[in-house]
Amino acid sequence: MLPYNLYLFFVFVAIDVPSLKCGDVVHLSASESADKLEAVPSLSTAAVSSPVPPVDTVFSFSLLSSFPEDLEVSDYCSDLLHIFGQRYVAYVNCLVPAARPVKVCQSCYSTYGSVVEIYKNISSDQMGPGNVTCRDSLLRSDRLMLVYQLYSNLESLWEDSNCAQCVTGHLESLTNDTLYFMSTLNQTLTCFEKYQQGNHTELCKNCKSAYGTLNVLYSQMEQNSTLCIDIEDAMNMTRRLWSKNFNCSFPREENVPVIAVSSFMLFLPIIFYLSSFLHSEQKKRKLIHPRRAKSNTSLMNIQDKLS
Amino acid sequence: MANITKKVSWSSRGDDSALTGEGTPLLNGTEIPKPSRQDPIRGRPKEIPHNEKLLSLKYESLDYDNIENQLFLEEERRMSHMGFRCLEISRWVICGLIGILTGLIACFIDIMVEKLAGYKYQVIKENIEKFTEVGGLSISLILWAVLNCAFVLVGGVMVAFFEPIAAGSGIPQIKCYLNGVKIPRVVRLKTLVVKVIGVICSVAGGLAVGKEGPMIHSGAVVAAGVSQGRSTSLKRDFKMFEYFRRDTEKRDFVSAGAAAGVSAAFGAPVGGVLFSLEEGASFWNQMLTWRIFFASMISTFTLNFFLSIYHGKPGDLSNPGLINFGRFESDSVAYYYYEIPLFMCMGALGGLLGALFNSLNYWLTIFRIRYVHRPCLQVIEALLVAAVTAAVSFTMIYFSNDCQPLGPEHNEEYPLQLFCADGEYNAMATAFFNTPERSVRSLFHNQPGSYNPLTLGLFTLTYFFLACWTYGLAVSAGVFIPSLLIGAAWGRLCGILLASFTPTSPIWADPGKYALIGAAAQLGGIVRMTLSLTVIMVEATGNVTYGLPIMLVLMIAKIVGDYFQEGLYDIHIKLQSVPFLHWEAPATSHWLTAREVMSSPVTCFNRIEKVGTIVDVLSNTSTNHNGFPVVVQVLDSDEPAKLCGLILRSQLIVLLKHKVFVELARSRLSQRKLQLKDFRDAYPRFPPIQSIHVSQDERECMMDLTEFMNPTPYTVPQDTSLPRVFKLFRALGLRHLVVADDVNRVIGLVTRKDLARYHLGKHGLEELQLAQT
Repeated sequence: MLPYNLYLFFVFVAIDVPSLKCGDVVHLSASESADKLEAVPSLSTAAVSSPVPPVDTVFSFSLLSSFPEDLEVSDYCSDLLHIFGQRYVAYVNCLVPAARPVKVCQSCYSTYGSVVEIYKNISSDQMGPGNVTCRDSLLRSDRLMLVYQLYSNLESLWEDSNCAQCVTGHLESLTNDTLYFMSTLNQTLTCFEKYQQGNHTELCKNCKSAYGTLNVLYSQMEQNSTLCIDIEDAMNMTRRLWSKNFNCSFPREENVPVIAVSSFMLFLPIIFYLSSFLHSEQKKRKLIHPRRAKSNTSLMNIQDKLS
Repeated sequence: MANITKKVSWSSRGDDSALTGEGTPLLNGTEIPKPSRQDPIRGRPKEIPHNEKLLSLKYESLDYDNIENQLFLEEERRMSHMGFRCLEISRWVICGLIGILTGLIACFIDIMVEKLAGYKYQVIKENIEKFTEVGGLSISLILWAVLNCAFVLVGGVMVAFFEPIAAGSGIPQIKCYLNGVKIPRVVRLKTLVVKVIGVICSVAGGLAVGKEGPMIHSGAVVAAGVSQGRSTSLKRDFKMFEYFRRDTEKRDFVSAGAAAGVSAAFGAPVGGVLFSLEEGASFWNQMLTWRIFFASMISTFTLNFFLSIYHGKPGDLSNPGLINFGRFESDSVAYYYYEIPLFMCMGALGGLLGALFNSLNYWLTIFRIRYVHRPCLQVIEALLVAAVTAAVSFTMIYFSNDCQPLGPEHNEEYPLQLFCADGEYNAMATAFFNTPERSVRSLFHNQPGSYNPLTLGLFTLTYFFLACWTYGLAVSAGVFIPSLLIGAAWGRLCGILLASFTPTSPIWADPGKYALIGAAAQLGGIVRMTLSLTVIMVEATGNVTYGLPIMLVLMIAKIVGDYFQEGLYDIHIKLQSVPFLHWEAPATSHWLTAREVMSSPVTCFNRIEKVGTIVDVLSNTSTNHNGFPVVVQVLDSDEPAKLCGLILRSQLIVLLKHKVFVELARSRLSQRKLQLKDFRDAYPRFPPIQSIHVSQDERECMMDLTEFMNPTPYTVPQDTSLPRVFKLFRALGLRHLVVADDVNRVIGLVTRKDLARYHLGKHGLEELQLAQT
């Protein structure tokens, strides 16, 4: 919560100054703003060439809302923005088909890497060509902060999916652990496939070792915390196959001994209490009669007096 | 003890030495009193089975009343202004020490329980996993039972053979102490040690018990020990805090210790103060409250601080108490006004179940007192309970079909899979295969849907009977957590059922919220505490919003429960035959006057009394009195003696020990004058009269009691009504109240047992009988 607040605070500080400037600009004469019209087409072409649907219908309105050059986004930055858009789309396009069964880490780590790279470029404070940084203009010029929001959504997705555990540091390839797990998983699944047709007891018997190694491997990885959503999901599905579809869980077979032992234990206290009731000497209390001034305070007398 | 020439009904055997309490002289039974001539019918010994309508001779009053004799006045005169200020400072220092030590003990208990229980559950879990695969689960069951029994054996043997007073939660005993009853051995170091080890063993042994109740007792023992600056068990005297060696001061510190104990147990400093206030409120002042609050705060802070170090996060103060209810913060656990009637119904249910619990426990306790009184039998009983607890838990888990997927955050400490599908765990095992505290927390906080109703219903039923059976065993264990657990289980069940009735808006019936209310209702129904319990619950949940519903629930639980049966602690106090004085005298007792209440005739001493007489009176087994009015005979007249003071047995014993005889004082002028310090040094365990040797010559000497007696004892006229006497007793913490006639002659003496024997039963006012226990 706190960092977010702080961030907002900075944003307010940042946008405070430009807004003052804008106020000045608005007071310019209308003729000047008309002169600016020439500058607009170049901008609009850039907008049209982007993958977003053409904005012809609103084009006339956007004409009115153009600003003097020094406030506009530089070409360099708009290029960056453009690339960011493309990569973003590529990543999302990759993610959606990988949603079920979950393969978001395996299939999309490289596209994610490219998104990260371009965002790094946008948010770096190094000067690009023409001594401009795009960080302020692209990321924090307005309340919406669209680019930042889009990116942070992706980032939180990435964090929730724990993909970093399965991918090497610089998002180059899957880790060896992951690959090994995948191959073990494949072995198990092929085994399942092989015996799927016939009796499931056969399957339970024959695939037990493969499934067992997979389980052991999984719990090892769980302890080392090298799990990502892909592996977790794959394991869940395998377990469900094994337990629910093939019914290979352990059967409840020992009802008789368990009931026998526990009823024996339940029986012991009954014997104990009975024997102590019968054999133990009952504890008696010796009454003591205190000396009273008059012997009229016994219970009988109380009763009499009350009635 | 009453100052009465009692006609003791002796058994035919002369070797009865059952009457040995602390401070009570050992009776060697050499003198068999002559059967009373006046009343031959009563001379025969009468024996009855133990029941609740008895008062035991074992218990005595504490001397809360300040004895303003000449020694006291002298000492006060000698003491400088600075001295008083130092005393005040040392009171604060003691309270701080009490807090720190209580917090450390709580920390120790917590860590030990966690370690031992963790080890046990780990071993059993591995074993169960192994045998699920290859078969032979009954061996796991036996292993579980054996491990439980091993822990309980240690705890049970310690309690039953070394210190029986450490059994149970200790709250009834502390309640009695604060009420002004001296329970033998209740605040000794040995008791503390047995209590701490006992509670660790019984919780680790898997019994249906909690470690919170015993903390209150532990805090009280710490307070009593620290404030005295010495330990008689260790035979060490640190020569500190000597001024506080008397009952009045000690009681104040004990109430601080009890508060610190509550505070460490529940992370509820205010609740602790209010607990002490509720239980010992007849002696109270604002400054004391503030000091006690200080002790409570220090205690919870100490626990918090050391636990944070133990958990490897020093400075992260998030464990204020032994039980951590977790936080109820999210929006889904807010309540709406239309839920309050539902909560109140749950309160009524809690009251009913609490009354049922108490009634069952009452019968069980009577049976135990009558038949299971030998220590070895008590240990065997505890072992059986441990084994059955394991067997029942195992069977429940074994036959449960409630499988739940493992959550991402792993709330379950020891998830058992058993016959569930891979990646799922047995929901019954989270309730049974865990320490009770953790089970409570998971009932409060687990996601809706982590238990199915059948599991909860079965769990409530079994745990109810297990907890009821367990309370009163010879192990040290509290009843708070089991009550909370039972209540949380049926409360959660209520929440689930409500949610299923109204499928459209599942939010308002969050099961965790109903678990909390159920827990409060059940606890209130069993222990019947009001103010302090509300505050404890509110503080433990860390959510003031729940104040109102919890208060209402506790109120209704108490009203409903009181209709059927008393609170659990009151039942146990009664069954122990303790002369406990309640807030008020029983209603409809105004017609009883002091004349009827008092004991009479009274054994008095003259102001200058022969040593032989004193020794004879003190060593008379049949008149085991503690306070003796001192009378003065007007010379050369036939007028009866008039009251001029009151002297205690303990004082007389110290005087005899130091041989403060008139003749000796004359012969040995250089003899040191007796000071108040000499009396304090003998406190609290004054030697029995038999250990003091008085030669035949010395028996002829005289003793001047003027300097030592309390010259201004409280007296009442004989027509004072019982409620008036009662109020005086309760408010001033008296031990002896002399009944005098219009010319100041002693005609009787009222003691605690004379007052406590009246109580309002089913058929109006009833009288309890005195008995030897």
